[in-house]
Amino acid sequence: MKIQTLIIALVASILFYSSCQKVITPPLSNSAPQLVIEGVVSDTTGPYHINISKSVNFYADNTYPNVSGASVTITDQTAGVIDMLTEASAGIYTTHSIVGTPGHTYQLQVVLNGKNYIAVSTMPLPVVLDSITFDYTSVKNMIQPVVHYQDPAAFVNYYKYNITVNGVKLNRFQSDEDRLMNGKYINEDLVTDTGAIKKNDLVLVNLDGIDKGAYNFLQEAENIAFYNDNLATPATPTANISGGCLGYFSAQTVSSKSKIVK
Amino acid sequence: MIVPGFLQAQSKKTFTVSGTIKDKTTGETLPAATVSFLELPGKGVSTNNYGFYSIAVPEGSYTMLTTYTGYRTDTLRIRLTKNMLNNISLSSGQSQLKEVVIGANSSKSKNILTLPPGVQRLNIKDINNVPVLLGERDVLKTIQLLPGIVSAGDGNAGFFVRGGGADQNLILLDEATVYNPSHVLGFFSVFNSDAIKDISIYKGGMPANYGGRLSSVEDIQMNDGNNQKFGASGGIGLIASRLTVDGPLFDGKGSFIVSARRSYADLFTGFASDTTTKHSKIYFYDINLKGNYQIDANNRIFLSGYFGKDVMSFRNSFGLDYGNSTGTLRWNHIFSSKLFSNTSLIYSNYTYDVNIDDNTDNIKVSSAITDYHFKQDFTYYLNATNKIGFGLESTYHITQPGTAIASASSSYNDVFLEKKYALESAVYLSDEWNASDKLKITYGIRLSDLSVLGPGNFYTYDKDGNKTDSTYYQSGKIVKSYITPEPRFAASYQLNPNSSVKLSYDRNAQNIHLLNNSAYLSTTNVYLPSSNNIKPEIADQVALGYYHTFQQAGFEFSSELYYKKLQNQIDYRNGADLVGNENIEGDLLYGSGRAYGWETYIKKKTGKFTGWLSYTLSKTELKIPGINNGDYYPATQDQTNHISLVGMYQATKKWTFSADFVYNTGDAVTWPSGKFSVDGAPVYYYGSRNSNRLPAYNRLDIGATLLAKKTAKYESSWNFSIYNVYGQSNPYNIVFQADPKNANKTQVLQTTLFKMVPSVTYNFKF
Repeated sequence: MKIQTLIIALVASILFYSSCQKVITPPLSNSAPQLVIEGVVSDTTGPYHINISKSVNFYADNTYPNVSGASVTITDQTAGVIDMLTEASAGIYTTHSIVGTPGHTYQLQVVLNGKNYIAVSTMPLPVVLDSITFDYTSVKNMIQPVVHYQDPAAFVNYYKYNITVNGVKLNRFQSDEDRLMNGKYINEDLVTDTGAIKKNDLVLVNLDGIDKGAYNFLQEAENIAFYNDNLATPATPTANISGGCLGYFSAQTVSSKSKIVK
Repeated sequence: MIVPGFLQAQSKKTFTVSGTIKDKTTGETLPAATVSFLELPGKGVSTNNYGFYSIAVPEGSYTMLTTYTGYRTDTLRIRLTKNMLNNISLSSGQSQLKEVVIGANSSKSKNILTLPPGVQRLNIKDINNVPVLLGERDVLKTIQLLPGIVSAGDGNAGFFVRGGGADQNLILLDEATVYNPSHVLGFFSVFNSDAIKDISIYKGGMPANYGGRLSSVEDIQMNDGNNQKFGASGGIGLIASRLTVDGPLFDGKGSFIVSARRSYADLFTGFASDTTTKHSKIYFYDINLKGNYQIDANNRIFLSGYFGKDVMSFRNSFGLDYGNSTGTLRWNHIFSSKLFSNTSLIYSNYTYDVNIDDNTDNIKVSSAITDYHFKQDFTYYLNATNKIGFGLESTYHITQPGTAIASASSSYNDVFLEKKYALESAVYLSDEWNASDKLKITYGIRLSDLSVLGPGNFYTYDKDGNKTDSTYYQSGKIVKSYITPEPRFAASYQLNPNSSVKLSYDRNAQNIHLLNNSAYLSTTNVYLPSSNNIKPEIADQVALGYYHTFQQAGFEFSSELYYKKLQNQIDYRNGADLVGNENIEGDLLYGSGRAYGWETYIKKKTGKFTGWLSYTLSKTELKIPGINNGDYYPATQDQTNHISLVGMYQATKKWTFSADFVYNTGDAVTWPSGKFSVDGAPVYYYGSRNSNRLPAYNRLDIGATLLAKKTAKYESSWNFSIYNVYGQSNPYNIVFQADPKNANKTQVLQTTLFKMVPSVTYNFKF
């Protein structure tokens, strides 16, 4: 539930007659490129990938320089399996043997220029996405997928949603926790940009079960990426990887459903 | 050697003159009117909030002068051989020339000496011609044109006084705390100017009877109502209409006033072709009620109330409504010509509800704060040179940080956060001492206590904000008690008949904290009392000022310096979630701050052209462990330069023109210094906190008032205004986002709320 989003939509619509928007280019300070590690182990068939890149300045293109030459290891601490990843293409490191299993704890270790970056993530037990439907009415010109699933009451759960339209993944993610909805049957509208989903599109929704560490990062990242104007004191999302880098590592379960928009 | 006045032996026989000062035509009591004596330069007293004065002077014959801004000075010959009761009625209007001379000579004490530094008093008549957004006269918007008081921006009722936070202002309406003074998320204030008599603003040097907030006190008094005849007044504007009715009760022994206002933009949205607008509504209303009854010469009771509400709904699926209600029952009792007492029972409540009723969820989220407040104040006019104030007060606060009630089919569980209970009490003693003809000293102490009460679970947290322990306290058990001594001191020294210097020191403690980590939404707030984790916020302020009056030209000049030190300021951990979070206190960080500045103010008070120019140069910084390496960084409201210029010109009997101009340095904000990718979406990287600046804010508003008709029985006028005449694009909101047209780029999008808003209002009175 994003109350803030709804309030902003309300205020904007009511006041629209006198308000106006324009793109501006204020001077922004530039920071030194930061190391970014992003990687996932899931309960779907491998291989899994770890992506290492660098941050860029705000006004630059969204092309992030890949970082090669890192030594990357993922250890299944529960099963005692160690997997040394291979750099399949520049900055993308691929697993060989490891198998994502719910309940197992995975450790990611990246060694780069003598520095050690370590993250640990435990894959939760799977939660099944029952179905998806579409909400055509909430916001004008916006078709929103609605997810339907049962949150298990016995566990604390964290989720991430992704939407793929006609085979193209939307550059938008959404995270959620069951703090206020533990044990409920969940029906939730997913946020999409106006016009991102149209009639006759094939929409695939992924429900990822993630752990607390990954959720904390993703929730901060989501606020920064999509709601930064509503934050009194925006700050860089805190990585769940130690050693001084950006990004996250998540061992997660995946359940997906697809449907054509009528 | 200076000996405190009340220790000095009384050598001459003195008698007391006391009474109440009222408006002749309406019977309204006049607060802060001055009484002085032509034969006793430098001696004088001002009336209290109920128009009561008392002054002891030696036996003799005097010319007693009663002055009040906008009223003819009253002169009265008295022969004082015993204690004397003198109730005075003043007629409104400009003083006659002769009286101005007398008044000017004797009222040199007025602003020059009587008010401590940092204090300003505005009569509601002073603000009626200042142009405002959509013609809604607004006392809180107008005070933001004064030095040291800055706006939180367009569309935000919040304001910052001398660097303090928006929640650090004590806003009182007939003594009741108004927690959220905004309508429509902050476009207008909740105070209907038709119902208001006057406002006193304390930026520093607060008298000891005020306490509970760090930065300022805005003490707003409602009109009592006309006790001579029935009347009605009102206005029809583009946004709202107002109607006020007042009149006598019990053969003039009492009076009443009822003032109501409602906006009506929602009445038209139904006609809109756009379906989103058609099914949305947004409106507010407020009602002010007050009645008073003079039981006998020594007893008077007042009952006043305020009810206001904002209702918004969006496509029938999302609703937000919030409002304040207050009630005050007061009893003025004059024990003797020297001892005045006021007893108040006060109720105050602020509630907000969010309703979500869409295809998937039906949920109602509520939050509230309720105060039950008892207050007893005494003023003892000890002798000619000392006025002693003392009293006590106690407030029982019940805060409801949030409940959520969801339908059975909803995705959400009901959430009931524990209510928080606290008892906030204070005793105070102060003395207003006229140490000499030239030196006036007000000193006192306020001792405040906040007791955190059960029932409830109280948690402790480690340095990372993780819960470590929990203890349950029974109902009424004291969990923690904080006692804060708050010394107050203010001295004025008159250098010559036209100029004076003033010095003040004050400490304030704040025990009710507003949590809001959103940039501008001002309704979904969480109020928390101090607790085992949250310590009282404390501010110590020193201010020094110089004042000069140019009698002939009708100018008043002041210049003040202040330095303020803040302790136990509250900030938030990254990602802090304030909604439905029972461990909210684990998400808080605490630090200190400092604010200092220089304020200059020049005002032209008389003549066809009136107005003022105010300039503030200031700095406000915070220091919070874990933020910016624990170094000082600028607070959001750190607006280095702030200029406002207000002018009103009475061109003819019918036409008055007015204009105001505002310029201030942009707020300190945190903007990205880089970006990286998370799941394909750009996410931003930030350097140090508040190291960027919004563009400077500036705006010019103009207005004109046409007095259409004025007879003895009926008066009507038209008010025309244009807000932001030259259409400056002042930012309301700036978002950093993916460029919707180019997937490979990010962009900065600015939203401006008001570019040139014209309005017209029709006002009437009979």
